[in-house]
Parts: sequence; C-alpha cells; structure tokens
Amino acid sequence: MASILTSLKEAGDAILKIAEKKGLDEAEAYLVSNKLLTIRLVNNAVFESKGVHDIGVGLRVIKGNMLGFSSTADLSKKSLERLVDAAVSTAKARKLPFKYSFPKLGKMPKVAGIYDKKLAELPSEKAVELAYGMVDASMAHSKKIVDNAGVLNVVNYETLVLNSHEVSAKNMGTFFEASLSATAKNGKNVSEGSEATAGRSIKELKPKNIGEKAAEMAVSGLKSQKLKEDTYPVILDYEPAVGVLGYISYLVSPMIAKLYFPLFLDKLGKKVASSQVTLIDDPLMPKGIGSAPVDDEGTPSKNQIIINKGFLKKFVYDSFYGAIDKKKTTGNAVRVSFAVGVSSFPGKNYNGEPIPFARNPYFKPGKWKREELIEETKQGLLVRRFHYTRLTNPTRGDFTSVLRMGLYAVKNGEIADALKKSRLLDNLLNLLRNVDAVSDKLVVAGSWGDYAHTPVIRTKAHVAPID
Amino acid sequence: MEEDLALFAVEHASKLGAEYVDARLEDHYNELIIAANGKVQRGVINRKRGIGIRTLVNGAWGFQSTTDLTKKGIKQATEIAFKVGKASSKHVPTPVKLAPAKTYKTSYKTKVKVDLENMAFEDKLKEIITWEKKLHTSKKIVRGLAEYTGIKIHKVFVNNEGANIRFFNSLAWVSLKADSKKGDMTQFYERTVGHSGGYEIFQKNDMEKIGLEVGRKAESLLKAKAAKTEKDATVIVDNDYAALLVHEIVGHPSEADRVLGREAAWAGTTWWAGKIGEKIGSDYLTAYDDPAIPGTLGYYQYDDEGVKAERKVLIEKGVLKGHMHSRETAAIFGVKPNAGMRAITFEYIPLIRMSNTFFGEGDWKEEELIKETKHGYLISCMRHPSIDDKRYNWTISAQEAYEIKNGELTTHLRDVALTSIAPKFFKSISAVTKKVEILPLPGCGKGDPMQALYVGNGGPYIRGVATILGVK
Repeated sequence: MASILTSLKEAGDAILKIAEKKGLDEAEAYLVSNKLLTIRLVNNAVFESKGVHDIGVGLRVIKGNMLGFSSTADLSKKSLERLVDAAVSTAKARKLPFKYSFPKLGKMPKVAGIYDKKLAELPSEKAVELAYGMVDASMAHSKKIVDNAGVLNVVNYETLVLNSHEVSAKNMGTFFEASLSATAKNGKNVSEGSEATAGRSIKELKPKNIGEKAAEMAVSGLKSQKLKEDTYPVILDYEPAVGVLGYISYLVSPMIAKLYFPLFLDKLGKKVASSQVTLIDDPLMPKGIGSAPVDDEGTPSKNQIIINKGFLKKFVYDSFYGAIDKKKTTGNAVRVSFAVGVSSFPGKNYNGEPIPFARNPYFKPGKWKREELIEETKQGLLVRRFHYTRLTNPTRGDFTSVLRMGLYAVKNGEIADALKKSRLLDNLLNLLRNVDAVSDKLVVAGSWGDYAHTPVIRTKAHVAPID
Repeated sequence: MEEDLALFAVEHASKLGAEYVDARLEDHYNELIIAANGKVQRGVINRKRGIGIRTLVNGAWGFQSTTDLTKKGIKQATEIAFKVGKASSKHVPTPVKLAPAKTYKTSYKTKVKVDLENMAFEDKLKEIITWEKKLHTSKKIVRGLAEYTGIKIHKVFVNNEGANIRFFNSLAWVSLKADSKKGDMTQFYERTVGHSGGYEIFQKNDMEKIGLEVGRKAESLLKAKAAKTEKDATVIVDNDYAALLVHEIVGHPSEADRVLGREAAWAGTTWWAGKIGEKIGSDYLTAYDDPAIPGTLGYYQYDDEGVKAERKVLIEKGVLKGHMHSRETAAIFGVKPNAGMRAITFEYIPLIRMSNTFFGEGDWKEEELIKETKHGYLISCMRHPSIDDKRYNWTISAQEAYEIKNGELTTHLRDVALTSIAPKFFKSISAVTKKVEILPLPGCGKGDPMQALYVGNGGPYIRGVATILGVK
C-alpha cells in the first residue's frame, strides 16, 4: 500500500518539476491507484470475475490565462514529459477571460468509516463466495425463484493531489456495490424483484439480506393486476428516490446546468420544490458513500444545504466553475470523464478534469416512518424500483421511468395488489413540487453504479400501464 | 507496441493451466473538446496503454487488466486472472465452451487522410468554436454546444489458439446542439457528424452550414405547434429516427447474452427469446448488424475474440433469423460465432455489442411515401429513448415532426414522441424506402461496470403505425 502512494508521490513530484522547468505558472497532478474486483452473477451462477488495477495521473497546467489538461496511465519519465507537453497544447487552445488559480492549502478534516482494510484486502475467492451468497439466499427464500442475476463490485482507491501551492492531499477509501435481480415463476406468471445496496466496509455487506429482499419482491409480484392510467399519490421507495436525487444532482451543478440540464439555471433563491424538500451535501458523513476529507482538487470537504425547504440556496462549485461565476469553490470538485471510449470505473478517475458536482447528497429525512407513509395514503402507489429513467426533455423537465417491478397499489393505508409493469410519465419539477412527506431514515440504495443515502419520499405522478 | 508482452501473458496463463486465454494489448489516444456559447469548456487529451488478460479456467471466466506493462506487472495480472477464474469455477454448473473459430494473423488499419495527432489541438479548437458560433442564428438561441471527440486505438489481440491481430483504428465525431427560447418556451435541436477515419470528415462536410441549420431548426421549433396525443397514427420515420429505433428495439434485444438473461440485472432481457424462425414483423422488416462497413463508427474487421466480421442477418422479411454472438453464446445456440464481442478498452472484458445495426432497404422513394399518405406524420430525427427491460414497450421522442395531409407536409410539430409495442409496430410496417443511411451513435451503454461505446445505426424511411404522445 505504502509503495503505491510512494510511487504516486514520486511521479507527482517529477511532473511538478517538469512543469516548472517548462516555465508553467502552476501545475496540479491528480494521481490515482484504483483497484476494482467485479463478480458477475448470471443464471444462478458466477458468470465472470474480473479485476482492474488502474494507476495514472491527470495533470492541469496554467500559463498566464491559459488552462490545459491531459492524462496518462504511463508513469515513465518519457511519458511524463509528453504528458506536460499535451497539457500545454490543450492550454494554448483555452484562453480564459478571467483569472484562475488552483486551490490553496486548507486544513484537512477527518472522515470516519470510509476505509476498511478487510474490504481492501478481500481475497477474490472470498468475494466470489459473498457474491454467490446472494443467489443462495434468494433460492432458499422460495421454490418459486427460478433465476438470479447480479453483481458485486469491490473498490479500493488511493488518490493524491499535488499542486504548485503546496497542496498535498491524500485520500483513500473502500466501498462495495452489491445487487441482485431475482425472477419468480408460478405457472404462467413470471415476476421480478431486485435489491441493490452499497457500503464502505465488509461488515455492511449482507448477501443474505440482499438475496432475500430480491426474492421477496419477485414472489410478491406473481399475482398482479393491471394499473388504471391516472395521476396518483406515489410513495417513491429508496431506490426510486435515488433516481430522482441523481437528476437533482445534475441540476445543481452549474456546469451540467449550463451545458445540458438548464432547469434550475434561473431559479437561484426561488422555490423549486415543496417545503418538505431539503437537499444536503455532506461529504463529511461518517461511512458516507460519497464521503472523503477532500474533494478531487484537494479542497477540504464541508457540509452544506443546497435546497432549503424547497428554496434553491446555491449551486455547488469547484474552483474553475467558481472562477467563471465569481464564486468560491464549495469543495465540490469531482473528476469524471466526459469522453466516450475512455474508461470510467466505480472508484476514482484521473481521465477527466474536475467538474462541480454534489458529492454525498441526500434529501433531509422528515418525520414520517416509512410504514406511516403507507398507512397515511388512502389510495396511491408504492414504487420500489425505477428502470431506464430519463429526463426526456431536459429543458422542460419531462421525466419518465419504467416501473419494471416492485409496483404496488396502496389502498386505505395498506399495500394491496401488486401491479403489472407500468410507466411513470411526468415532469421532474412537478415531482419535486408535489412532495408532501419524507421518511425519517437514510438508507443506501441505488442501481447501476449510482448509489446514495436517501429517505423515502411521497409525491404525485402520472402513471400508465404498459400493454 | 511489443506483442511479446501479450504473448507472454498468454503463455504464462497457459502454463498455469487455463484452457483458453487471450490478451489485448492496447494504446489509446483520446481527445475531447467541449465549447459552449463561444467559449471552451473542456479541452482534454487522454493517453492510456495497458493489457487485459482473459482466462477460461475449469470452464469459468477470469479477467484482469493492468497499466503496469513490465513483465512483472503482466505476470502478476495473469496470475490474478487465473486465480479469479478458478475461484469462479466453483459456482459454474455448466462449464463455458467456446464455438470453434478460425485463427487469423493479420494487421489492418482504418483509412485515415488527416491523422488526428497531426493537426494542432489549437487549430481543431478554433474550428470547433467557429462551428459553435454558427449555432447562434439569432438572440433566440440561448445556448450553443459543440462537443468533439477524437480517438486513436492501436490494438494487438493474441490468444492461445494462435490468433495475432493488429488493428489501428481512428474515430472522430462532433455533436452540435442549439437551445432556443421564447418567453417560457424552450426548444432544442442537435446533430452529430462522425465516422471511423481521421479529421477529414469535418473538411468533407460543411460544418459551418450544419451549425447554421441546427440553429435555424432550434429557432423554427419555437413557432411549431405542440403535438397532440393520437392513438395508432400512421407515421413515417426518417433515417435519423430509424437509427435510434433500430438501436433500441432491434439492436439491444439481438445481443445473445441478453437473450440468455445474462443482462437481466440492469439492462434487462428480450421479449423474443426462443422465437428464432418465427414471424415477428411484416415482410417489409429486415435488419442487419454489420461491422465490416468502412467509415462507420462501428467499423472493425475482427472482434475482440479474433473472429472475422461478417454481416449478421437479424430479421429478414419479418422473420427473426439470428442474434449477435460471442464464441460462448454461439456454442450455446449451436451457430457460427459472428464477431459480436467488443470492449471499449483493455481494462474491460468484452461484451456482445452492436457494431452497425440498421434496417434493410425497400423500394419506395421518400417522396412517394409522403405522397401516398392521406393522414399521418413525418417523424424526424431521434431524441431520447425510454424502453422497458424486455425491449417490448418503447417510447422514443423526436426532434420534430410534420403532419401529412393528403400527401403533403403541413403543420410543423414540436415536443413529439412515439410509443408502441415492438411486435405491434413491426407488424404495422407497410413501406420502406430504398436509401439507407448509417449514422453515428457515440454513446451506447452496456455492462457492469458500464462501457460506453460508439456504434453506427440507421435505416431507410419506414412507414408504420404508432401512438403519438403529445404534450401533457
């Protein structure tokens, strides 16, 4: 472990020296070691086990009013020279109309529970057994379960930010993502169920729980009714709530808002959601799925309110977009690659420049227990899964998701019939404005590489059956 | 790039006891420029080289990639690939078998006139800014966006059966998008130009003119009428809309791993599993997947298992004929492998992916289709899809549409989407034009971890029946 950080530090120091020698005003090296082990489960069996060990560096340089970026996975001396030259060539093309400088040194906070040695050193044989444990539990839950598919990702990352202002911020963490989809069959009736969660330590990984929950949902859908198209009160359970949260995170990034999803662009200080909705970004949360002591350009993390009781209080910023909008960084630099054909794994990524993005966002829990949300719904729907969720018109907010499984009618405060596959067709802003209740507990949920802490939320939405 | 390193991995895994092993040694160059409202947002050059080693141990797949290209690093990665394969094999009730494939020793290149690295980054950027500026045709254009991607890949594929294939690929594309606004109404229009090849694609096309057209289209949508919901309308979809349609409701469900339920966890399955040989659409419905078309984003001659590319007939005259295969799924289905396996980089295990999937030609002319329509809609240019997990129910929005009355295009429509059930739509196809276009689709997602890949999709104009979804 220490040897990786040592070699990253040596490469980073070498890069800063080359940059200085070439007369650049500032340089920033973001060095990463990202280890990933994936166990894929298919047709009740282990389908493949695959690993990635990715070591590399992303370099930003400033010369006068020019900013450049390049990355490489080759840390040889010759390659590092070429890396600096490539960053310079991109800088020549990007002249900034404002003054920009990399972040200065700040006091680094501590975050508990984001690194687990046992998870970092999990042997592959053990990972295979843990993954398969989800299938075992699902099959044991009911004889009606006929198929299971899922995945276990185990990630162990180390990063180091070095810049010309003597920032030297290291960050290490571990996490897993575990999910299972189960299929139940009874005569001609077929139904699916799934469960997906993530965590920072091996202790949080409970394969039996995941398998049983997926199986329970699958079996519960075997007898299902066709839904009547209408606008309903809908209780968005943990996973669909993360689906909504994911889009809100896009909307509060000034970069993404300006380039792709402008729904909140003119709404700073205005009401964008009901008073039940408070959105917090807390990368200092112990065991937080997106927690870290610093952001991806070395700025210390801090807790902040983004939407307060329905009012949009702020956008999140990294130093660059902060400079554009004449704001300070809020410690929200996140490295993602926007390039197609460039790898982007769970864990840390050095292939892209930082963008402003919420790091560990969640809706602030409310007063209701999850059961109370159901009990207090006279007639509505409980939505436990979203599938293929899209903002189909990003300038207007048209929002759709396939309710592929885990859809139930709620009648007089009780979960009544399971319902056949349907489609939610509404507007994201309407969903936010109609939130009338939020549950009291945060749970980690998500799907396909997108996990967060969330409560359950109740809103209204138009839902139609899929023939 | 020294193929010795890849051969060493193969030899070492074989010595350890792997029954099959392949290695992909790759060198990637990627550049990305994003410009918006006259300013550069991103200017990036990425380089990455490394190796991905895939093993079959006791009938189970293991894989490890590394960017450490020392012999020690490759040895270590090979040993992990072997070890994880072996660990998996305890829970593989049916050992993986590979359909036989001819081995090739060859080297080939994508035809390139202007090498991406031979043109200064600064010069490319200036051009892209110029095109972006053209999007601003009036004050009604509130946002312009130009996104350029250039990719060069040098890849060596070897396996323990003697294959040794070297491929020099190059790809480039630009997407131009304009957002327009009037009062509370916002609209947008976008277009992508791209190919496998060098920077010459942007010299062949008049990009400034395309920028102007995109801007004007976005403006014109502000004056267009909102589409109204209409059940079972006659629709004529153009090449561009057909590209996304074929991608979503023919391409994805044709992936044999999906047919076998192997993508059930996230992406889903397919409604036509077990229906090969059955009539699922009208006689006018034919669809192919063909990697061996030079100039397309999905171009290759050999896939990431070393299988020679060929045209795959997916649907012929309404009959479901076959799927896209890996060597493994080909063995399961008892067919010849047809070169469907690709990974975006050496860091990923290959998956069954589309290359260039498109609807086949008919014998109509576009004008004839419109002329013969008493009442219907011309649905033009893809926008966003939302498809169910079986690829059965689909909803795909379009950038614009025109109402057709008595054989003539009349009212210009905005905010339009089509929805239908795949077999219902397939059976409704009543005419197809002669001219097929294959367009660039740069962002197809599949796998866990997700691999975003560039493909080609397209087709002719197609007449069928679907429900128009208007503004709620």
